[in-house]
Amino acid sequence: MSTQETYKTKVKELLSSGKVKMVIGYKAGTTADRRRPHFMRTPEEVDQLVLDSACITNLSGYLLSEGLLSDGKEIAVFLKPDGIRSINILAAEAQLQSNQVVVLGFDINGSEISALQGERASDFQALTSSSNEARLHKQQHPESARLEQMTPAERFAYWEDAFSRCIKCYACRQACPMCYCRRCIVDNNQPQWVNTSSHTLGNFEWNIVRAFHLAGRCVECGNCGRACPVNIPLGLLNMKMTDEVLQSFNHYPGVSETQEPVLASFKKNDSETFIL
Amino acid sequence: MTRILSSDKLDNCVARWRKAGNKVFGPVKKETTSSYAAVESAAEFDLGLILPDRSVKELFFPQTEPMMRYSIKKQAIDTEDFQPPIEKRIIFGVRPCDASGLAIDDPLFGWDYKDDFWFKRRNNSVIITIACTKSDDFCMCTSLKLAPDSTKGADVMLRPLQNGKGWQVEELTDRGREAVKEIADLLQDSAEPTAPNAMVPEKFNLDACVAWLRNPENFESSFWKEISMRCIGCGSCTFLCPTCHCFDFQDEGDTYNGIRRKNWDSCSFALFTMHTSGHNPRSTQSARWRQRIMHKFNYFPGKFNVNSCSGCGRCSRQCPVDMGITETLQAISTLQP
Ligand code: SF4
Ligand code: SF4
Ligand code: SF4
Ligand code: SF4
Repeated sequence: MSTQETYKTKVKELLSSGKVKMVIGYKAGTTADRRRPHFMRTPEEVDQLVLDSACITNLSGYLLSEGLLSDGKEIAVFLKPDGIRSINILAAEAQLQSNQVVVLGFDINGSEISALQGERASDFQALTSSSNEARLHKQQHPESARLEQMTPAERFAYWEDAFSRCIKCYACRQACPMCYCRRCIVDNNQPQWVNTSSHTLGNFEWNIVRAFHLAGRCVECGNCGRACPVNIPLGLLNMKMTDEVLQSFNHYPGVSETQEPVLASFKKNDSETFIL
Repeated sequence: MTRILSSDKLDNCVARWRKAGNKVFGPVKKETTSSYAAVESAAEFDLGLILPDRSVKELFFPQTEPMMRYSIKKQAIDTEDFQPPIEKRIIFGVRPCDASGLAIDDPLFGWDYKDDFWFKRRNNSVIITIACTKSDDFCMCTSLKLAPDSTKGADVMLRPLQNGKGWQVEELTDRGREAVKEIADLLQDSAEPTAPNAMVPEKFNLDACVAWLRNPENFESSFWKEISMRCIGCGSCTFLCPTCHCFDFQDEGDTYNGIRRKNWDSCSFALFTMHTSGHNPRSTQSARWRQRIMHKFNYFPGKFNVNSCSGCGRCSRQCPVDMGITETLQAISTLQP
């Protein structure tokens, strides 16, 4: 049986036994290469489930939809390794309890998919540790390497040009599972910390604030970059922040839910005398 | 015999219009995104795009616009208005759905208050539309009772020739005639036939949708929650839409000195209707999505007698979760009114 069919059977069981109240997965989209999030509450809705190599969206953010988890009932969600790591971070940051989430794990290798064994995010510790190891030795993306070679002025010009295209639609934020604040700092208007205007300065402020808030938390799922309607290379920013946090603090986000959030923890023996 | 503009003369036209004091715009692909942008020569145009990612509305209603400078002093408050620009513009290669979008928004910007920023730009711009011979899975002008060669909002209509080497020219307004006059000697007579329009299948029955939306009982239908469950509440669909027109005023600066700006805003944002008390009359994403549909196909036509959608398909094409107006109206058109 294909991975998709095996999972269909499993999802039907989960729903008909009442183990979970909802399963979040994928179904076909408008065009052949698109997949849409699919919310299944009855076994009949499982027939539309699609699980293949086009299922790239990290669905974990939907768990934090207002009120969804408040009744304490369990929800199952299809997750790739990056999504499993976001569950660990969300649990570490007290946004959900990982024992309320059934992980339906899968991974994509080229055009093939495979099932990942485990039920709770914590069952995937070996996997998240090995992806930590892999990330440490990952070859630099050619575009990142090109940016590193630039002078600061050239790099500034590169991002100035990229951010000048931003329209402040906040699709990057809304698509990001780690951007869960009910009131984002840019939505705060008393005082207005960040300009809401979408001029180049305002766009700079917005994108840099977001990159900082994601440092050590971003799982590099790519949701933000794919959501951006003007295709700003947000992935490059995320890669850079991930590299910095790895090098400076040996911190790879989402390895487990007991991992301390890197920018929200403090050690007395820290060599720095100043905390930002 | 009709008059045609041959593609190899386009650069001469751009030069001629520029020399006559016009700023020339058209579809341009820059880096990873495309929009209608200012050009110096026709070589910068990308006329092969089905349509630019960003709509033409931003040339009339930019994402952020300074309106007034203020300065609060001990004895007085000084203000200084920013003047809407009055440069003459030729916007070449506008898609019929984008041009229609401008015409759809005209009554809105001139209703209770005449928006100078919009109308000064409108009156100084010539819209040269090119009929579509290509479409994609998201185009849906025909479902909105428009067409790939709709002339709505256009000052000049260009119909591509079958041989791909130019366009048949048809002036539609005085502004259009004026712009064509400036290039009259570059046109030639020809019997070359025009290419067939793009085939854009009708995706839903608009009248059935409108009937359902007008039934007050459907306002609280569970349909809204179901259809919008995956909406993440971003501004992508509204900001790319050629007819969405909501804005917000923001004072930028400090208490004493600053600039008041007019910025795009979106009914998809939770903050859009948030009251100072903290109460939000549209507290859920489904209520916000319902508003977008109701506004476009019920309230707006109720007031201005035209739907606030030209069928460009951008909202569905660019939605991060593959939602959009098309899917919703397709679903509604199968429901009982
Ligand atoms: S910042 Fe982007 S890549 Fe990182 S977790 Fe959020 S959506 Fe994913
Ligand atoms: S998704 Fe892109 S355009 Fe929208 S706010 Fe984010 S960076 Fe800007
Ligand atoms: S429909 Fe799509 S583009 Fe529009 S607000 Fe919802 S998620 Fe964003
Ligand atoms: S609602 Fe969608 S299809 Fe209609 S004009 Fe706006 S973006 Fe285009």
